[in-house]
Amino acid sequence: MTQADELLRLAAALRAEARPDLTFMEVCGTHTMSIARYGLRDLLPEGMRLVSGPGCPVCVTAMADLDRVVALARLPEVTLATFGDLIRVPASRTTLAAERASGADVRVVYSARDAVQIAADEPDREVVFAGIGFETTAPTIAASLLEARARGLANFSVLSMHKTMPLPLKALLDLGETPIGGFLLPGHVSVITGTACYEFLARDYGVAGVVAGFEPHDVLRALLRLVRQVTPAIEIEYGRAVRPEGNVVARRLMEQVFAPSDADWRGLGVIPGSGLALRPEYADADAAVRFPVRLEPPLEPAGCRCGEVLRGVTDPADCALFGARCTPEDPVGACMVSSEGACAARYRYGGIDD
Amino acid sequence: MCLALPMRITAVDGALATIATAGLEQRASLMLVPEAKVGDYVLVHAGFAISVLDEAEANETLELLREISAFAADDGVEADDAG
Amino acid sequence: MTDGERVLLGHGSGGKLYRDLVKDVFVNAFANPVLERLDDAAALAPPRGRIAFTTDSHVVQPLRFAGGDIGRLAVAGTVNDLATAAARPLALAAAFIIEEGFPLADLRDLCASAATAAREAGVPIVTGDTKVVERAAADGLFITTTGVGEIVVSHELGSSSVRDGDAVILSGSIGDHAVAILAARGQFTFTADVRSDCAPLWGLVEAAVDAVRGAGGEEALRFLRDPTRGGLTTVLAELAEESGLGIEVEEAAIPVSPAVRSVCDLLGYDPLTLANEGKMVLIVAPEAADAVVAAVQKTKYGREARRIGFVTAAHPGRVALRTPFGTRRVLDMPVGELLPRIC
Repeated sequence: MTQADELLRLAAALRAEARPDLTFMEVCGTHTMSIARYGLRDLLPEGMRLVSGPGCPVCVTAMADLDRVVALARLPEVTLATFGDLIRVPASRTTLAAERASGADVRVVYSARDAVQIAADEPDREVVFAGIGFETTAPTIAASLLEARARGLANFSVLSMHKTMPLPLKALLDLGETPIGGFLLPGHVSVITGTACYEFLARDYGVAGVVAGFEPHDVLRALLRLVRQVTPAIEIEYGRAVRPEGNVVARRLMEQVFAPSDADWRGLGVIPGSGLALRPEYADADAAVRFPVRLEPPLEPAGCRCGEVLRGVTDPADCALFGARCTPEDPVGACMVSSEGACAARYRYGGIDD
Repeated sequence: MCLALPMRITAVDGALATIATAGLEQRASLMLVPEAKVGDYVLVHAGFAISVLDEAEANETLELLREISAFAADDGVEADDAG
Repeated sequence: MTDGERVLLGHGSGGKLYRDLVKDVFVNAFANPVLERLDDAAALAPPRGRIAFTTDSHVVQPLRFAGGDIGRLAVAGTVNDLATAAARPLALAAAFIIEEGFPLADLRDLCASAATAAREAGVPIVTGDTKVVERAAADGLFITTTGVGEIVVSHELGSSSVRDGDAVILSGSIGDHAVAILAARGQFTFTADVRSDCAPLWGLVEAAVDAVRGAGGEEALRFLRDPTRGGLTTVLAELAEESGLGIEVEEAAIPVSPAVRSVCDLLGYDPLTLANEGKMVLIVAPEAADAVVAAVQKTKYGREARRIGFVTAAHPGRVALRTPFGTRRVLDMPVGELLPRIC
C-alpha cells in the first residue's frame, strides 16, 4: 500500500469511528501549517472541528516584548540576531525589517550558535539574541549561552521571550470559551518535555491529549487515537522521536540557565510561571538587564483579533480584517505574519471549493 | 512550532556533528544528545540535535517525505485528469 | 595589462585607459565584427518578423556560485526574457558598472563566462558601456543587459491566449538557483549538492515552437514565462489572475531535487516560491502537449520536462495544488524576502 493509500485508509477509519461534533485543538503552529499544507481538513469527518491554539511562538509574543526587541536593535552598538520568524512581525510602530532598512544591524540566523559565532568574529559588537520559542528551542539557547561563556565571549547576550507549553493549555481550559474534546499535543516540544507535564489535562479536566508528529499520517493517526480513547488519557503517536521521559539532558541545560517567570501571552494575558527568564547568575548575559531601554506604551492594532484566534475562539475568516486589511503582504497581527499563524495558514493554504 | 528534520550523523568532532540527508550536509551541536554517535539518525532543530531516532522509524519519516517528491512519482499529469 | 591589475576610476573616464580596457577585456571576450567596430551605436539589419525588446539588471551576490556567475546570468536572463516572447535573440548590449579596485582577472573571467553563454545562445554582444564607480558604491559589479530579438510566431502569446483545458508544462526541476545562491552566500552554513540552473533557453523554446507547428499549429503555444524571482507559484498565480482562468497542478509532478528538498525542509522554505534561472513554464493546447514535452525533453536544458497540470474554468483566478494525498490547497504569491524559520 502506498503512503497515499494509507492516508486515505486512515481518513476513512476516522470518518467511520468519530462521533459527530467533536472539537479538537491543535496546539502547535507547525501542526497548523502541516494540516493546511496537506489539505487535511478535506479528509476529516463532517462534524469534526480542528481549532488552532496558542502554539505559535511568534504569534503569542506580547507587543511590549516586540517593542523591546526593536528598541535594542536601534542601539548603535547592538547587533540584533534573530530567527527569520521575527523579521516581519508588526511591533507597535515598526518591524525589524523596517528597522534594518533604516540602518539597524539586524541579522537573521538559523541557529543561536551562529549568533555566538558573530559575537566571536566581531568583538566590538554587542550581539543580542532575540530568544523566542518554546521548550524545543529554549535548550538550544541555553546551550549557546553556555558556549559563549566557555569561549570567554563577553559580548553575547539573550533577550528571553521564551515560554513553556503546558500552562497555557490549563489557562485555555479554565477560560472555558471553547469546548475542547482533546488536544493534538506539540510533537517537538514533547521531545524535550516528555508527557508527564500533560497528565493534568486528563486527570483534572478529563481532556485527552495525543502527542503527534507532523507528517499527514502522523496527524490522522493521532486524531484516530483521540477518537478511540474511552477514558481520556495522554498518549504518544510520535514514538520515533518522543519518549515519555523526554530529553533529560536538554531539560537540565534549560533549568541551569533559565528559571520559570511570569509571561505575558498575546491573547491570554499574563500566565504566572509560564515564561523562562535568565537566572541571576547569568545577569551579565541578560539583554533586558544589560541594556535597559525606555519603552512607550504598546499599541495593539485596532480590530485585530489575534488574541481570540489564538484561544481558538474566533476562526481567522471571522475576523473583519482577514484578507482585507490584514494579508500576508501587509499584516496587521502576528497570526498573519508567522507562517504558522492560524491566519497565515488559512490565507495561504485555504481550501479550494470543488 | 518546531521545524526539525531527521538527519544522519556522518562524523563527530567533540560536541559538533556533521549531519547529512539527501544532497545536504551540515553541522549541528550534540550538546543536547551527548549519547549520539556516528551512524545515528537525529532530529535536528535550529542547529542542534534534540533526539536520537530509531533508525527504522527515521526511515519511515524519510520515506513519507520521499513519497511526496516528484522523483519518486510517475511522469506528470495525463490529459484525462483535466476536468 | 598584467593579471595583477585592478580596475581604476580612470578606466571609466573615456580616455585611452578606457579604450584599452574595452579592447582588452570586452572586445577580446565577446569577439564579433559589429562590436569590433567600436561605434557608439551598433547598426543591425532589421528582422523579417516583429521585434522583441527587453532589459534586465543583474546585481547578484555573490558574483560566483555553483553552476554559474553574474556573466552567465546576465546573458541567460535576457535571452530567456526574449524567449518568453518566442523571440530568437539577435543582439545583446551589455552595460557594466564596476567598482574601483575590482580585479581585472575576475572581470576577464566573468566576461568569458558571458561570452560562452552568448555563443551557446547564438547571439552576439554588439555594444556596451562601462562605468567605474568609487569603492563600495557597486558591490563589485553590476551588469545590465538589453536584448533585441525576432519573434518567430505570428500570433499573440500571452495570458489572454490561454484556454480552459490547456496543459501546463514545466521544463525541469525548481529551486536549484535559489539554493545554490544561498549556499554560496554562506549565511547558513550548509553544503548542498546543488548547482544553479542558470542557462539560455532559446534552443528549448525553439524546439517547442517547432513541435507545435507539427502538432496543432503555432497557436497551440499559448504562453511562456520563466519562473525567476517568486518562483513557479508567482508565474502561475499571475497567469491565473491575468487570464481569469483557474490552474491546477500536481505537487507530485513538480520535480524538486533531493538537495533542494532537504534545504527547504531544514530552513522552512517552499520550493515552489524559489527563484530559477534556467526553467520555462509553457502553456500549450492539449492536442500538442505530448509533442511539446517530447521535443523539450530532447533539448539540453529540458530533459526533465513534464506536464504538471492544466488550465481550468473552475476556480477562476486561483491556482490549486493537488497534494500527493488527493487533497487540494490554494497557491498564493509569496510575500517579501525569503526568510528561514524555526517554527
